[in-house]
Amino acid sequence: MTTIELSQLTEQDRKHKASEQASEPLRRRTRRQRLFLDAVLALVGVAFILPLLWLLDAAFNQNASQAMSWPSLTLSNFHSAVAAGAGGAIKNSLYLAVVSTIIATFVSILAAYALSRRRVPLKGLLLIGIIFLTGLPITLLLIPIYVMYVHLGWDNSPFYTSVALAATSVPFAIWLLKNFIDQVPREFEEAAAIEGSGNIRILWKVVIPLALPGICVAAILTFINSWGAFLLPLVIDANPQNTPGALGIYEFMSANGRVEFGPLAAYAILFSIPVIVLYLISTRWLHGGFAFAGGVKG
Amino acid sequence: MAKIVLEGVGKLFKGKSSAAVRDLDLEVEDGEFVVMVGPSGCGKTTTLRMIAGFETPSEGVIRIGGKPMNSVLPKDRNLAMVFQSYALFPHMTVAKNLAFGMKARHEPKATISREIETIAGMLGIDSLLDRKPAELSGGERQRVALGRALLRRPQAFLLDEPLSNLDAALRVQMRLEIKRIHAQFPVTTVYVTHDQVEAMTMADRIALMNLGRLQQMDTPERIYDHPANTFVASFIGTPKINLFAGSVLRDGGIPRVRFLDCSSSVNGSAGKVLESIDRSAVTVGFRPEEIRLAPEGGGRLPSVQCVVEMVEPLGPETNVVARAGEQLFVCKTAARSGLAPGDAVAVEFDTSQMKLFDSESGDCLD
Repeated sequence: MTTIELSQLTEQDRKHKASEQASEPLRRRTRRQRLFLDAVLALVGVAFILPLLWLLDAAFNQNASQAMSWPSLTLSNFHSAVAAGAGGAIKNSLYLAVVSTIIATFVSILAAYALSRRRVPLKGLLLIGIIFLTGLPITLLLIPIYVMYVHLGWDNSPFYTSVALAATSVPFAIWLLKNFIDQVPREFEEAAAIEGSGNIRILWKVVIPLALPGICVAAILTFINSWGAFLLPLVIDANPQNTPGALGIYEFMSANGRVEFGPLAAYAILFSIPVIVLYLISTRWLHGGFAFAGGVKG
Repeated sequence: MAKIVLEGVGKLFKGKSSAAVRDLDLEVEDGEFVVMVGPSGCGKTTTLRMIAGFETPSEGVIRIGGKPMNSVLPKDRNLAMVFQSYALFPHMTVAKNLAFGMKARHEPKATISREIETIAGMLGIDSLLDRKPAELSGGERQRVALGRALLRRPQAFLLDEPLSNLDAALRVQMRLEIKRIHAQFPVTTVYVTHDQVEAMTMADRIALMNLGRLQQMDTPERIYDHPANTFVASFIGTPKINLFAGSVLRDGGIPRVRFLDCSSSVNGSAGKVLESIDRSAVTVGFRPEEIRLAPEGGGRLPSVQCVVEMVEPLGPETNVVARAGEQLFVCKTAARSGLAPGDAVAVEFDTSQMKLFDSESGDCLD
């Protein structure tokens, strides 16, 4: 633009044009950056997808191997897996996961409610301790738990294994649930109290329904944690009848001297099905979002 | 139905330097509708929560129905509360919300449905019973909250600013509704609000609070006509009362008070008080309706010259903001006064209504 034309514009127009010229190269730059990012993400995506693709390929492939090959489709791998005990192992895992989830959720709700709503001595210290415990590696607990369980005669019992698994999930569940319950407005409990409700009724009828998304998250995480449990069942339960899925896969890998990739892949897929189903159910359920709308203004 | 008595009640929250409530002596008679009013932070909601049992008094005793309640849980006090945010359980239908309390008290199903039908019909919410709170309007939610409180059949109602979330028209309607309900079910009621219009229109007696202390507890008329101090005088009444700095003139005989550019004799009990105390400065209060345009040629009432700053036509009357010297004040005139900013007028003061306050403490001199 010539000087004369520029000077004929108003102050505002000049400022607008200046900012546009400045952002032009900026927009071009971010588009390039975006393409680069997309390429990187695609590579990462491929790196994650490939093993899963291999799994699917090997499971349905008569001639499964370490490499990916065009499958000659068969279900015989699944039959081998089941014959090797996949069914039983999955049932054991189901037991461990369900029982430990029930125990952990029950305990965590009560603890989280108390920590959220009541005056607890040294609460701050307690909460820091709980957060610290969420990061505690299970390997630190293995030997002490083993010694304690043998002493109590609790070893080789699926139920007490569930108890131990629940205990490993409880710190995180408490922390998660406490934060959820903190967000439930206290007025609901006050309204329920003044209506004549006792504490248990308030918890059951008011707090739990309103904290349900959080409870589901805690339960699902506990379930998944227990589903994949390997070390704890390995150490405290020597009974082969109680072998859970993760342990079963490990034993299956070395069962026949050499690795049979086809049945192994099939076993892994069978083992993943319950968790995938859980995921599908829970995303539908949790889609409902938070339930406070309409109850409290603002 | 019960009398609520607060004796020397105080509340100091942990970590705070000043008490939220101090030295509160308050009595709500059986069946009375008392409105606790005051600016934000005056302690009215804290007091209500102490009556409900959600806060424990740091000192003093709260008695309901003659029984001390300090250590009684909210659920055992047989009270009903309507919260500012209604606190309707969002995961339950209206019917379940209404039934909640009765179910908690294990009342038979037939009774519960009968009672819900009656109350819902009375409040006009019977078509909403299957809806959830999120599907209701503000006014409907408020009526459900009221219904839930009524179904409690409590010995007292506690209402915490129940109308503040409603628009102006709905507020007026609900004010009448609540008074009508109270006439039908004359249960002891404590109503908290920051709106002095609600207080004036609804209360049998008003308890005005400021900074944690009770300023005055009286009928609306008495609080308006005989405010105990400048705070009460300023808070109740709209537009606000005009307060002028006054000086006392004593020359034997009846004391006179000089304010703005005029003076007036002080008769009656205020005059007697002035005679007995040794004060030279007082605060003089006139409500806007007690200051009028002086008639042509002056009158017998003290008057001053002033300049009109602003004219606020309200319809049935007009508020005029005028300046006399450095002092701004508000007076009322007839609807179409024909005044405009900049006009010079004379106003006269109805000294029969003059209020005198101590210039330091603000207490009324009567």
